[in-house]
Amino acid sequence: MTQSRSGYKYLQLEDIVYSYPQTGFQLKGINLGFKRGEFTAISGPNGSGKTTLGKIMAGIIKADSGQVMIDGLDTREVSLGRIGKRVGYLFQEPGRQLFTGSVKEELAFTLSFREEEKEEIERLSKKALEDFSLSGLEEEAPFRLSAGEKQRLALAALIINQPDFLILDEPTKGLDPLRKEELTVILKNLQDSGVGMAVISHDNSFIEENADRIILLSRGELIETRSTH
Amino acid sequence: MKLDPRTKLLMVFSLSSLAVFIKELELLIPVMFIALLLVYFLGGELSVLKKHSKFLLIFIGIAVIQSIFSPSGEVLLNIGSLKLLTTGGLVKGVRVILRMFIIIVSATIMLDSNSREIIQGLIQWKVPYELAFMVSLAIRFLPLLGEEARDVYTAIQLRGIEVEELPLKKRFKLYSYLLMPVLSGVMVRAREISTSLECRAFRAYPQRSSYQQLQFQTADYLIVILSLIFTAVVLTISFIL
Repeated sequence: MTQSRSGYKYLQLEDIVYSYPQTGFQLKGINLGFKRGEFTAISGPNGSGKTTLGKIMAGIIKADSGQVMIDGLDTREVSLGRIGKRVGYLFQEPGRQLFTGSVKEELAFTLSFREEEKEEIERLSKKALEDFSLSGLEEEAPFRLSAGEKQRLALAALIINQPDFLILDEPTKGLDPLRKEELTVILKNLQDSGVGMAVISHDNSFIEENADRIILLSRGELIETRSTH
Repeated sequence: MKLDPRTKLLMVFSLSSLAVFIKELELLIPVMFIALLLVYFLGGELSVLKKHSKFLLIFIGIAVIQSIFSPSGEVLLNIGSLKLLTTGGLVKGVRVILRMFIIIVSATIMLDSNSREIIQGLIQWKVPYELAFMVSLAIRFLPLLGEEARDVYTAIQLRGIEVEELPLKKRFKLYSYLLMPVLSGVMVRAREISTSLECRAFRAYPQRSSYQQLQFQTADYLIVILSLIFTAVVLTISFIL
């Protein structure tokens, strides 16, 4: 939380311009800063550029002009792998980011690639299974899970890597009220531990209840930024 | 120039057949230039080639492998007794590259045809509707497989895996992870499409009528005749002369 109070912008967007030549859609001159420990909601109507903005923030797509800095690193100059060590990104269709043969393997994927101790991997996986109500599904193939379970698994697989910042694209999509409540608690705990997050969402009640700041996009332009407190 | 999809299919078929059947570099090179010219004049999207320029490295790799394993002619580069690069091997490698290049370039001719037009073209060629529909589905969904594989690769990297830093063995292990979601995606999609087709009464009636009928224009007749003559001439030169 110290970093959030200090006002240091962990993720900074400067004069971002991006256009889709096929559709003529353009994100125009976006300037934003995101702090650690802060919950920022990005909202707006369909086609307003929310997901595009999220992907630019994570370095998945590169802006036509402007700069994205993550903790002082220019996303154009570092690999996605290096960005992924600091920033977790939840896709709108989480099924696309699950790629192993079982839930257990999905959770352990990055940790085993980083050659963490087996006991540590098991401890963190068990905790993630409990936190995200996935216990009992350890051996299940991710593609067989329900939409809500896929959503929770994808999020659990991101959080197990202990990122500094999360970009979540429609994280409440497909979640029932109980799971949404559980997600709220998890995100709140992460926020309290200093993780910053940008949540792209249409779910007004969810963002009004949880966000510190709401950013509103319309037709590729930033039209409003307001604090909820 | 707006051509009938059947004319385009015939051009692609002619060029691809030439790429497969002719062996002489002296013929492959002009065929490649003709393919490029056709794509240029028909407004084909050559930018696709730039997008897939990474494949060039694979082609170069093939040329080198051909050189090592098919050593013939004059030795250009050797390590001890191992003939690393020979003129014969090099010619074979370049031949493989040219063949692949012609096939890819000619396929871009079809890019501006929509799947509905392709199905209609095949139906008017008396291809059964079910088969024509399957062909069009394959054409439509193949690029999506590539897109899905790219998404998974992005997701893997965003889990904090620096692929460039990994040793070769781990990197191969990582690539194996691309297979599972792409295959499961294909199965899920196939199931959804078949359900959707059943719901719309696909094959419920033996005879289908078409709202849109394709009509050959003068330019189509001209190009079909020229394509056939060109293919026959090049094949004759290759096999007889």
